[in-house]
Amino acid sequence: MTFRGKLFWMFTIALVLSVVLIAAGVTVVARKAFDENNAQHTEALVAQFQREFSNRGQEVAHRVQTIANAESTVRMAIDLARPTADPSIYVDDATGVSQSSHLDILDFVSNDGTIISSAEYHARFGYKLQWIKALTAGKTVDWVAQGPFLMKIDTQAGPAVALLAVSTVRVGDRNLYIVGGERLGREFLGSLVLPQGMRALLYLNLENKFEPADLMDENGAIEQADRFASSIEKDLRQPAERKFTVNQTADAKEAEVFHETPLLGRQSELLGILMVGSSQREVVILQRRIEVLAAITVVIGIVIALLFSWWGSARVTKPIQELAEGARAVSNGNWNTRVEVRGGGDVAQLATAFNQMTQQLADQRERLLQTERVAAWREVARRLAHELKNPLFPLQTTVENLRRSKDKNPDQFEEVFRESTGILLSEIENLKTIVGRFSDFAKMPQPELGAVNVNEVVRSVVKLFEAQFGAVGRPPITPELHLDEELPTIQADQTLLHRAVENLVLNAMDAMPAGGVLMLRTSHQDGKVDLEVSDTGTGLTPEECDRLFTPYYTTKQHGTGLGLAIVQSVVSDHGGRVSVESESGVGTSVHIELPSRPPKKPQTPEAVAVKSGE
Amino acid sequence: MKRPLSLFLAASSVALAAGPAFTARRPHYGGTLVVEEAAKLSSLDAPGNAAEARLKAQIESLIYDRAGRNDTSTEPGAFRLAQWEPGKDAVLAANEGYKDGRPFVDSVEIRMGRPAGDRMMDLELGKADVAEIPVEQARRAAEGGARISASRPDQLISIVFEGTSATTGDARIREALARSIDRAAIVNFILQKQGEPAGGLLPQWSSGTAFLFSTAADPSRAKEIVAQIGPSPKLRLGYDSGDPLLQAIGERIAVNARAAGMAVTPEAVAGGGRPGSGAWLTRMDMPSAEPGAALSYFLEQLKPIVARNEDREPLADPATPEQIYEREAAVAGSYSVIPIAWAPHVYGVSARVRDWSAPEPGKPLPLADIWLDQMDNTPGKKNR
Repeated sequence: MTFRGKLFWMFTIALVLSVVLIAAGVTVVARKAFDENNAQHTEALVAQFQREFSNRGQEVAHRVQTIANAESTVRMAIDLARPTADPSIYVDDATGVSQSSHLDILDFVSNDGTIISSAEYHARFGYKLQWIKALTAGKTVDWVAQGPFLMKIDTQAGPAVALLAVSTVRVGDRNLYIVGGERLGREFLGSLVLPQGMRALLYLNLENKFEPADLMDENGAIEQADRFASSIEKDLRQPAERKFTVNQTADAKEAEVFHETPLLGRQSELLGILMVGSSQREVVILQRRIEVLAAITVVIGIVIALLFSWWGSARVTKPIQELAEGARAVSNGNWNTRVEVRGGGDVAQLATAFNQMTQQLADQRERLLQTERVAAWREVARRLAHELKNPLFPLQTTVENLRRSKDKNPDQFEEVFRESTGILLSEIENLKTIVGRFSDFAKMPQPELGAVNVNEVVRSVVKLFEAQFGAVGRPPITPELHLDEELPTIQADQTLLHRAVENLVLNAMDAMPAGGVLMLRTSHQDGKVDLEVSDTGTGLTPEECDRLFTPYYTTKQHGTGLGLAIVQSVVSDHGGRVSVESESGVGTSVHIELPSRPPKKPQTPEAVAVKSGE
Repeated sequence: MKRPLSLFLAASSVALAAGPAFTARRPHYGGTLVVEEAAKLSSLDAPGNAAEARLKAQIESLIYDRAGRNDTSTEPGAFRLAQWEPGKDAVLAANEGYKDGRPFVDSVEIRMGRPAGDRMMDLELGKADVAEIPVEQARRAAEGGARISASRPDQLISIVFEGTSATTGDARIREALARSIDRAAIVNFILQKQGEPAGGLLPQWSSGTAFLFSTAADPSRAKEIVAQIGPSPKLRLGYDSGDPLLQAIGERIAVNARAAGMAVTPEAVAGGGRPGSGAWLTRMDMPSAEPGAALSYFLEQLKPIVARNEDREPLADPATPEQIYEREAAVAGSYSVIPIAWAPHVYGVSARVRDWSAPEPGKPLPLADIWLDQMDNTPGKKNR
């Protein structure tokens, strides 16, 4: 992965993580805040509801007191206090008074606890209201101080729970009790003012065990009452205020948080359970909106992060990329490459250093070229001197012999002259040969590319030297061919390749004066063709290996030092590489790697200069 | 055409008895008598229920010369049907040629389907002259100053048991229920002392033997019987949903029964149709003041129940008091019928109506014999 890519992903991951963490944090904090707010809201509403409940009790007490104060009630009390009182005439009074007073429950009860008239249980006249009889037996009860209270009562429709208040009208030593109240039920729930999103449920403990039909809202018995069973059963065992959540469906929006308040009677018996439910719909919708917003923020953040990362990494890596391109250009031989220096940071310093480096490299290369050129010329001069010195010395001695023979032995001069001219011609021929070799090296042609099978080149070279491998008078050399038959053809100059392989074979033969094995191996990998020429000769020292491809360098007594230089020249012209491995006393291997097609040669300044005629 | 002299004399005596507000006046002809009825009669041919049948008989007794329930004469009566609007109004015009003389009033307008409250209000406002009012409201109406006329107690309110289910077929359950009922409280509180507790199938004023049947509640004995039965018996007590009196009595019976350990559930049944099985709270009008005829009628009405318990021959005609008592005691002793109370028919009568008297059992309203006082006919003004 590129540096830009790494930087891009690093930036992206860091930014995305940041955005996600922030979004998650905001969501969690918001959810917590909503929950707290919701809890406070619910508690406030529950308190409001309880106040409302309390107010209803006071209202009931007020209505009952109003009935007690009414003239008709006082007349009834006076009438009933008479010894010959006829209570039957009042049997229907409670019904009418309860309707005008908007009370569900209204009983006129005589001093001995006998029901004179009952609105909620009309047919019960003449029976005793046991609880009031028990409470008032032999004592005076301050009903105003008692205030409203809850009680389980009997009605025409069955048992019920009512919020009751009691007032008395006293005539002489006899009381007329007015028991009034509101029945707890759906009508009662419906009359309570509840904020939007809230609902009140009422469970009436009529059976002292959980009965789904006894759980109601303002519309009557509720569906799925069983969802409340566990909480109600807990209250039936131990009445206490509780909070719990009920989910009618799998959708969280339908969840409700209920605040449960046990409704206790005068003896602290559990008469009912009031459940104020607060819908979570708004909260959940708001939370979901925040979550959606957070998700959108995350997505947008990720996109922005990607864009920013792309831009940032591009901005950061651009100078480095330029440096890398510069380095590649330098590696390709463009020593004059310079990169732009931007700003004053580390990368700018690096660019400056790079420019300085390339400047120094160019200078050093120039100096090195000059040095190498001088050295090469010196080597050429040395080799020329060496090559020319050998023929020149016989030429000199021959000419001196001629001069001495003419001066001292004129009679033998003719004979000496013939021999000497023969030697002179022979040496001059040597000089011509030497000059010719130099001339050949100087005139190395540009490769003319064509489809070449390296195996065929190897075979033709081996065939050329077959006679010499087993020549009489010299130790035999055994050629071994390990040729890759799957070897692909490459674009190359067959003649030049033939010449290079020929030189390698010659060198190998020269390296094995005592005979040995000449191994030629071909193979291919990644579209490149490898050629290995190995001998089992005396081998080379590392120093010899280092200088092996230097023109005119030779380890042989009579070599020109151009063989491997030609090999290197040919391989280089084909865009390949040549290397040598050698171990003294074991042998030497020369490896040639040739591409399938030679790359186009970059135009060196020199070449450009030649082409332009400079 | 003139009314008989006896009627004049009778009218004069009633007027005198009515007090100082009513001065002795001579009866005179003219005026329209307005009668309001609760029942709605859609057709004179096919009455739907007992109330409609009673109204039909009422109208027919006026347009035909009929003396009682069993009289099917088609001779022209005191009135002729002048106008008929089914379910709403019937106008009867005086028959000038009636054999007993032309009625005093020129016409009788019968308004049908009037609720009790409206009837009471119309009476008070002078928009109606005669209207039957619920017996349970009679006392309050009288205390409120209304002119009330009650017949002798001639409606038997009772529980009848039909079918032979496990509950209704068990005589012990029926006896327990009968003993649990506080009839006196029902008469005093619900009927507002209009009527009397019933122990037999005939009222005391008719048979003279009703006192032999106990009407006292015996909740202790009822509890004992219920305890012997075992698990608390459950009984549904049906009643006509359009009859608030029966509803009140049924609810009271349920309270009494509950006190004795029985679960009785009053159940309103629309249309007055009786269930095929179970207990049924009902009221039946005496067809005649004559005890034998009345008992025969009741036995005929209760034939399925009586037959279940007492597969006997019909009551002799005429029957002796002993035979009547014996048959009455047999039915009451089987508890297949639990008599609750005798209630009268109560009428509200406007002040201008003269010579009014509540009809005897089985007799039509005496509309042909009454006349309207002309002292003040202004509609809406009270005439008391």
